[in-house]
Amino acid sequence: MSEVALLQLIGLCVVGVGVAILLFIQARFVRVVGFVIILLGIFALIALGVPQMASLPPAEEKFDVASIKTPADMATIGQKIFFSKGQCALCHSIGPSESARCPDLKGIGAKLTREFMYESLTQPQAYIYLDYRHEGPPKQYPARMPFINKNPIGLTNNEILSVIAFLQEMSGEPITVSPSEITQPTQTAVVIPMTHGQ
Amino acid sequence: MRIHGEHPRRLLSLLRGRGSSIAGLLSLIGLLLAPALGLAQEATSTAAVAYRDIPQLGGSRNIIWVIAQQHLLLAGFVLGVPIFAWVCEIVGWKTGEKRYDKLAKEFTKLLTSAYATTALFGGILLFLLIGFYPKLMTYLTDIFFPSFVVYCVLFLLETVTLYLYWYGWDTMQGGGMKVLHLFLGFLLNVFAFFIMIVPNSWATFQASPVVITEGSSLARAWAATWNPTWWPVNVHRLIANVVLGGFICGAYAGVRYLSVTTAEERDHYDWMGYVGNFIGVFGMLPLPFAGYWLMREVYQYNQQMGITLMGGFLSWLFILQAVLIGALFLGANYYFWLGITHRIPGAEAKYRKPIMAMLIILLLCLGVWMTPHSLVASLEEARKMGGTHHPLLGVFGVMSAKMTVVNLMILVTFMSFVIYWRAGKQETATWAKIAKTVMGGVLGIAAIVVIVLGVWGYFVPAIVRINYFSVAQVLITLFVMLTITPLTAVLLRSARTTTEMVWGRMPPRAGYALVMNAVMVILLMTLMGYARSSSRVHWHIYGVMRDSSQYAYSPALGYAAAFMSLNTFMFCMLVAFIFWVATMGDKGKAMDSGAKGKVPAGAFPAMAGGSAALDDKREL
Repeated sequence: MSEVALLQLIGLCVVGVGVAILLFIQARFVRVVGFVIILLGIFALIALGVPQMASLPPAEEKFDVASIKTPADMATIGQKIFFSKGQCALCHSIGPSESARCPDLKGIGAKLTREFMYESLTQPQAYIYLDYRHEGPPKQYPARMPFINKNPIGLTNNEILSVIAFLQEMSGEPITVSPSEITQPTQTAVVIPMTHGQ
Repeated sequence: MRIHGEHPRRLLSLLRGRGSSIAGLLSLIGLLLAPALGLAQEATSTAAVAYRDIPQLGGSRNIIWVIAQQHLLLAGFVLGVPIFAWVCEIVGWKTGEKRYDKLAKEFTKLLTSAYATTALFGGILLFLLIGFYPKLMTYLTDIFFPSFVVYCVLFLLETVTLYLYWYGWDTMQGGGMKVLHLFLGFLLNVFAFFIMIVPNSWATFQASPVVITEGSSLARAWAATWNPTWWPVNVHRLIANVVLGGFICGAYAGVRYLSVTTAEERDHYDWMGYVGNFIGVFGMLPLPFAGYWLMREVYQYNQQMGITLMGGFLSWLFILQAVLIGALFLGANYYFWLGITHRIPGAEAKYRKPIMAMLIILLLCLGVWMTPHSLVASLEEARKMGGTHHPLLGVFGVMSAKMTVVNLMILVTFMSFVIYWRAGKQETATWAKIAKTVMGGVLGIAAIVVIVLGVWGYFVPAIVRINYFSVAQVLITLFVMLTITPLTAVLLRSARTTTEMVWGRMPPRAGYALVMNAVMVILLMTLMGYARSSSRVHWHIYGVMRDSSQYAYSPALGYAAAFMSLNTFMFCMLVAFIFWVATMGDKGKAMDSGAKGKVPAGAFPAMAGGSAALDDKREL
C-alpha cells in the first residue's frame, strides 16, 4: 500500500469515527470533538486528492580543487558559488532587474580588471562607486557590500578566484585567472597584488 | 508446584488489571529514553555537530514541526486575545454596557494559563532547535543575539503588565483607575506586538536574508531584522492574530451555547458568539490584502521563490487555501444570516432573497477561486483539451480571475454584516434616502469596476496587472468599506428600533458554524506555515545556509495536510483544556448558587418579537 493510500485510509477512518460520535454519543463536548475531526479528516482527504509533489533537494556539490583543469572549470564553479555560498545574487543581478539593490553585474568582467574585482570583494570600502541611477546627487546603494572573505560569507581565496573567472567568462572576456593559482589544501595561499583598477 | 504456579498467574492478573497503566509507563520510559538514543549517535563523533536526530520519535523535522506549530498557534492566541479583550473593554467603558467588560475579563482570565502554556512550548522549541540544529542556531545567534536580549526584556515587561492587568481588574474599575487599567491594556498590546515582531525577524531572515556587513553586533542584528519580508509578515500576522482570537472566542461561545442550561447563559453565549464572529470577520476582510502585499514582496525579493510558491510544487497549496478560506467565508456569512433570521423576528421574509443572492455570488466566486491553473487530467483528456488547461474553465485559473473573486467575496461578506447591522431598524434621518442611494451606488459601481479590471487584466502584461490593476481592486474594496461603515453608523445613530434583537434563539447549527470557522482559521495558519517554510525549499536560510540533513526535502501536500490536521486537533484540545481549567472556578461558584434561572422544560428563553428583558418579566 502506498503512503498516499494509507493516509487516505486513515483519513476515511477519522471521518468515520467522527460520524459515529455524532450518531451515537449525546455528550455535547464529545459531539463537537466528533464534528472537528470530521472537518480535519475531510481536509486531509481533499489534500490527498490533489497531485502529490514533494520538493527534493538537488545533489550537494563540493568545491573540489582536484577537478579543476581549465579556466572554464573555474568559471563553472565560480557560477555556483555566485548563486549559493557567495550570496552575490542576494543583491546583484546579471542584467537589468527592478529588485536588485546593488549594481547590475552584466558585463562587469569587461569593465574591471581582475585585481580591482578582487579588491572590491575583499576590501569593499576601499573604492566606492555611488549610485547614479537616481535623480539628484549620487547616493550610496541601499545594501552595503560585505567583506566576502570574512564571516559570515567567508569565501576562500580559491573560491574568490573562481567567482572572478565566472564574472569574466559571463562578460565574454578571456579568463585571466589560471588554474595554477588555485591553492592545494597543503599549500600557502597565493597573494594577489593589489592595484586600483579603472 | 501449585504454589509456584500462583505467582505467574497473579502477575498476569495484575498485568491484566493494570495493563493500560503499565503500557503508559513503558511508553513514557521509551519516550524519555529516546532522546538519549539520538544523542548517543553523536557521542562517538568529535567533529562539530550540524544536526542531531531522534528517528525513534518520527525524526527531528517532524518533532520541530509539531512543537513549533503549537507554539505559533498558542502565540497567535495569546497575542490576539489581548487585542480582542482590550477592544471589548473600551467598548464597555464607552457605552457603559457591563457585558462587554465581563467578556473582556472572561478572556483575559484565559491569558494567564494560555501565556504559561505558550512559554512552555516556546522553551521546548528552543531546546529542541539548539539540540537538533546546532549549526543553524549558532549562525542565527551570532547575528541576532542583541534581539534575543530585547526579546527577554519584552517578555518580562509583558508578564508584569499582564499580571497588573488581570489581577487589578476589579480594583481598577472606577474613574481614573479605569483609565489606568485601559492604559495597561494598551501597554499589554504594545509589548505583545513587539514580542511578535522580534521573532518574526528571525523567521523572515531565513526566508529573505540580506547580506550582513561587518559592524557592531547591534548594527548587524538591525540589518538582518530589516529584511524585505519582515513588515509584510508583521502586518499579516497581526491581523491574523485578531482573526484567530475572534473566531476562537466565537467557537468557545458556540460550544458553551450548545451545552448551557440557563436562559441567562444562553443569551450571554449567543451574544458572545456574535461578538467573536464579528471581530473575526472584521479582521478577515483586510487579511487578503496583507497576504497580497506579502506575496508581492516575496516576488520582488526573489522571483524564483515566488514562482515556487505560486507556480511550482506549492501551487496546489493555494487551491487548498481557497477551499479553506471559501469555507470560512461561507461559515461567517452563514452565521450572519442565521442571526438575521433567528435573532430578528420577522426579518426572514424580508431578507430571504438578498441572502439567496449573496449565497449564489459566494458559491460562484468560490468556484472560480478553486479552479486550478492546470487540471489533473489523464494523457487522453489532456490531448482532447489541447493541454492541461481546460478550454472554458482555464480562464478562471489565473490570478486576474482570482483577485477579482476574492474582492467580490469580501464585498459580499461586508454587505452581510451591513444588512445584519441595519436589520430591525428604521432610519429616521431626513437624508436617509440619499445616503442609502449613495451606498448602493458606491457598492454597485465598485463591484462593476472590480470585474472590469479583472477582465482587462487578461489583456495587459503581468507587471501592469500586478502593480496597478490588482492594487486598484484592493483600494476600491477598501474604499467601499471605509465609505459605507461610517455612513451606516451615522445613519443608525438616529434610527428607530422596530424589532428588538432577541438573544438565545439561534439553532444548534449556529454553534457548530462557529466551531467550523475557528477550525478553518487554525487549518489556514498551519497550511500557510507549511507554505512559508517550504518556499525556502532546501535552505535553512535561503541562498545562504543549505539544509544538508536527511530532511532537506519538502513533503507532498497530502502528508503535510495530515500533519496540519494533527496539529490543529492538538491545538483545539489544548485550548479546550485551557478554557476548562480557567472556568473551573466559575463552575464551582455557579454550583454554589444553585439551580436558579434554569430554563423550564419546553420553554423558550425569549419569545418572538420580545426580548430577554421582557422574558425575565414574564417569568416573574
